[in-house]
Amino acid sequence: MKEEAVLFGESRSLVGMVTDPLDENGSRHKTAVILLNPGIVHRVGPGRIYVKIARALASIGFAVLRFDFSGIGDSSVRRDHLQFDKSAVLEAQEAMDWLSAARGINQFILLGGCSGATIALQTACCDLRVVGAVLMNFPLAEDEESDENQNGTNRTAGYYYWNFALFDLQSWRKLLTGKADYLSLIRVLTNQAKSKFAFSKRISREATEFQAQLRQLAERDIQLTFVYSQGDPSVDDLQEAGRNELKRLRTLGRMTLNVIPRSDHTFSSLHDHERLLQVILGRLSSMSPVRKPAYVPEEAPISRPA
Amino acid sequence: MNPAENIVPFHFGSPGKPLFGCYHRPAPERVRKCAVVVCQPVGHEYVNCHRALRQLASRLCDVGFPVLRFDYYGCGDSSGSAEEGRVSQWLEDTSLAISEVRRRAGLDQVCLVGLRLGGALAMIAAEHSDLESMILWDPVVSGKDYLEGLLQLQREMLRFRHKPSQGWKSKGPSEVLGFALPPLICAELEKIRLLEIARKPAKNMLVVQTEHTAAGLRSHLQQTGTQLEFQRLEAPQIWRPTADGSLLVPGLVLQSLVSWTSRTHP
Repeated sequence: MKEEAVLFGESRSLVGMVTDPLDENGSRHKTAVILLNPGIVHRVGPGRIYVKIARALASIGFAVLRFDFSGIGDSSVRRDHLQFDKSAVLEAQEAMDWLSAARGINQFILLGGCSGATIALQTACCDLRVVGAVLMNFPLAEDEESDENQNGTNRTAGYYYWNFALFDLQSWRKLLTGKADYLSLIRVLTNQAKSKFAFSKRISREATEFQAQLRQLAERDIQLTFVYSQGDPSVDDLQEAGRNELKRLRTLGRMTLNVIPRSDHTFSSLHDHERLLQVILGRLSSMSPVRKPAYVPEEAPISRPA
Repeated sequence: MNPAENIVPFHFGSPGKPLFGCYHRPAPERVRKCAVVVCQPVGHEYVNCHRALRQLASRLCDVGFPVLRFDYYGCGDSSGSAEEGRVSQWLEDTSLAISEVRRRAGLDQVCLVGLRLGGALAMIAAEHSDLESMILWDPVVSGKDYLEGLLQLQREMLRFRHKPSQGWKSKGPSEVLGFALPPLICAELEKIRLLEIARKPAKNMLVVQTEHTAAGLRSHLQQTGTQLEFQRLEAPQIWRPTADGSLLVPGLVLQSLVSWTSRTHP
């Protein structure tokens, strides 16, 4: 594996890092992987997980490009005032152009977390060079109420209460013996209820658009991999909104949905990293097998039906 | 920000352990006589502070300073894994970065800017470098306190996570928010005590503090004979995780740093 810092794009202002397989003469995929910023975190990703993903994929023969969209990380701000959802798709395409010119690769798998997943799906819909997408905690819609009603801590805490504490004897003992943080519990659950109500009113529009995207992709030979952390509320929205289209893609063998148990939105533990890598490596190596993944996870992720 | 922003991403250092750097090249007609090296924090603090330090570098470059931001070994885009990171290695990396910016800019005068652990590393590395000036932004003064803060943060993060039925407590903390914290790093961090460094770190120093944790640093630095300016600013502590995942850029601090550097190196 070797890494090279690059500048590319129309004004050569996008900063990226290419991770190439070490053995240039050996087996190498004809498909490259491009990692798209998760939110505004720069190209190393939270917990440096993008670096780990890139190096792990290079170890099984993929060329990988991690880069920053304009205005994020080291890439300069655009001067044309293009909206982010449009400029990001253009820049993802510029990343493909660069890899085509520099590495002679013309097929791509896009991988992104959170808003990076949204851009990956949008780019996949408009560019035939995309043959696969790994969408991590893909948000069906931006939760505009989140700043006021439900910050990240509330969301994490809410899922902890619903998914774990509810079934945990020790948590019930604390609740019944006056040792629980009642104020926090009430605040979290109230905010969740409020947010859920407001969010569900808006989600139908996003669902229609999402279904159209899936129908469009079903016409092509493209592999979609959804990966969610167990504590992420978007997984329920995804299944609700994409129900029939997701089933169709799954029947066609073009979609998997993986949930990483006991993980959070940014996969913020080393244990989460291992399991996330296992899903990604397992999926991508099956798409174009060259060598077996080097990672042996401690615990297998759950594969859920759509 | 300069419309013709000139950033060069590259690798430097030994071929076996290449380091990633971003060199901000100022317009030729306005280059000053001092180059700047930015010493970043590590771990999750590195991720949280990247946006602000990138903007700081751009602003310094806009007023004529060649600036090098770099990632330590095992951090960011540099080679190595977090498990391999060592304080001793990061100090070597800092020295390498100083040499690199001198070479690229063709200048002898160097100003080190260090935030959090980067501040501590800058101060220690200065013992072996002849520095014109140094900026410490909320530096880690006691490695032991810093380590305790990291472990406290990890405990807080674990509060709302499902605990595996066995084993998780007995393993002890070996990571902070997805960054490995092996015993060797912990042992090295615990030895960091800025108040025991007697040598003058640089001719001119600015210390910016947004929190009250560094008692004694001001008087200690004054005793070293450096020309010290101390500023207490009301600004967010950008290295801490935010509830909504946003990355903060404290304009007031950046403005103050650029202003001081410009005055010190006219």
